[in-house]
Amino acid sequence: MNGDQALSIAETRKLRNAGAGIEQIVVEGIGKAMEQLDGKCTVEQFNLLEIMLVGRAAMGAVKELFPLGAPGIPARATVIVCSLEGDVHDIGKNILKMILTAKGYKVIDCGKDCHVDKLVEAAGQHGADAICISGLITTVIPQVKTVKELAGKRGLGNVRILAGGAALKQATAEDLRVDFVADTAFDGARFLESAVETRTV
Amino acid sequence: MRSSDRIKAAINFEPADRLPVIAQVFAHTALIAGKTIQEYVSSGRQLAECQLKALERYGCDAIFAVMDVNIETEALGSQLVYRLNDYPYVESYAFTGNTNLETLSTPDPSTAGRMPEILKALGIMRREVGDEVLVVGCVLGPMTLATQLVGMETALYLAIDDPDSFEKLLDFTTRVIIRFGAAQIEAGAHLPLVFDPSASMAVIPASFFREFELPRLNQIMNAFQSAGASAGWLHVAGPITPVLPVLGQTGANIFNFDYCVDPDEVLSIESQLCFNGNIKSLDFEIGEPEDIFNESVRLRDLFSARGGFVLSSGCEIPPGSKPENVEAMVAAARSGR
Repeated sequence: MNGDQALSIAETRKLRNAGAGIEQIVVEGIGKAMEQLDGKCTVEQFNLLEIMLVGRAAMGAVKELFPLGAPGIPARATVIVCSLEGDVHDIGKNILKMILTAKGYKVIDCGKDCHVDKLVEAAGQHGADAICISGLITTVIPQVKTVKELAGKRGLGNVRILAGGAALKQATAEDLRVDFVADTAFDGARFLESAVETRTV
Repeated sequence: MRSSDRIKAAINFEPADRLPVIAQVFAHTALIAGKTIQEYVSSGRQLAECQLKALERYGCDAIFAVMDVNIETEALGSQLVYRLNDYPYVESYAFTGNTNLETLSTPDPSTAGRMPEILKALGIMRREVGDEVLVVGCVLGPMTLATQLVGMETALYLAIDDPDSFEKLLDFTTRVIIRFGAAQIEAGAHLPLVFDPSASMAVIPASFFREFELPRLNQIMNAFQSAGASAGWLHVAGPITPVLPVLGQTGANIFNFDYCVDPDEVLSIESQLCFNGNIKSLDFEIGEPEDIFNESVRLRDLFSARGGFVLSSGCEIPPGSKPENVEAMVAAARSGR
């Protein structure tokens, strides 16, 4: 929780050597740390620096557990993350990727400068449950508005579309024609937990 | 009353004929003038023409020589991608976390990258409006320029993994900013706005702001005052409520607060700072004139007893905003005292 990556990796090794199971470390170790961070990072107390440090420490532990990059436990759901074509940088997307990976999701990173077509194609190819778009500048909004319709046309109407980031979070879900607008990465993760995993929306 | 005097009155908590109003319109001025954003961000002359046309149309109290947030980083060697109708962005950063900054000199604003174009724009604008309207230049803040030189993630990890190198980076960016800002004042700016969105509490903790950013902002404001700036103006986007009480220590006279800061929080602190804000930027693009007008009137009335207020958006008004929304904000400022 204090964002010390070296300590996080050392603790993971120690737990493995003591006989702790991978799933137990993910659920009771990394998962609990993420829950605590989620509680701490209210909208008023959200800062990238602390999130990135904890995210990096969690990713260090995940890499220690799965050195070949293939989790031995089933993913909670498959999620596509991206920044759209023309956005200035993709830090929000990278943070969401760290948090969702640490929470046990299979995350497909479509990178930055991603075209909407490529995004929807990737969702179909990987059988994704959700597409998460991070947007830092308002000029990507017209692209965001097309994602849900395009997914519907490709038979992916069940895929939930989430938007977040400095520019997009100023708008409503209706403005952006998406299912949910997240204030923070944790807010997005909570929506995924309720909407995607239980399919209640 | 002249526009520049109206803003000065707000800064000094003195009475004025009406509430001052500014629109942070940059590339938006190009689109309403029928130019491309690429033309606007590439030429000081085009920028000046677009800003002067926007002044004619909207009648705000300030104009801005602002192209985009990449002027300083490009002057130091970052490679940009230019686009016809969007702002350029950094494709490869000038520095890595390991760059030796001690031997590096600051860029010469008369020759480096597009810095001379900014100086040209300021000269044209000031000759055109004199002291009638406030002519505002722009520099990045130390933290924001650091993130623009090495990338946001590298800068933030560097701050924790190698604090000495990070402080050297901030010292270097401070020197760059002071030199560029002083050149802007010499070229005709009444003052350079210090634009520091990465110093927001959305990015760094408040303690980090107080320890690393605040002393350097103070150094910059003092340097600009010595160079002849008519006031110090600071913008930090996002949630900044935890540092509201210490913002005066930056030496700024006016502070631009964003839409996510509750105006009541601003009103509740003891401060000699003049504030400007804080209509949500995106509302200029997707909202309606009536909503902008009503929000403007609400802000005008909220701050009427305190004074020390300039009506504006919380951050940049997006390029694709509806002109009638900007007009609605100006109309609200003109509609009462």
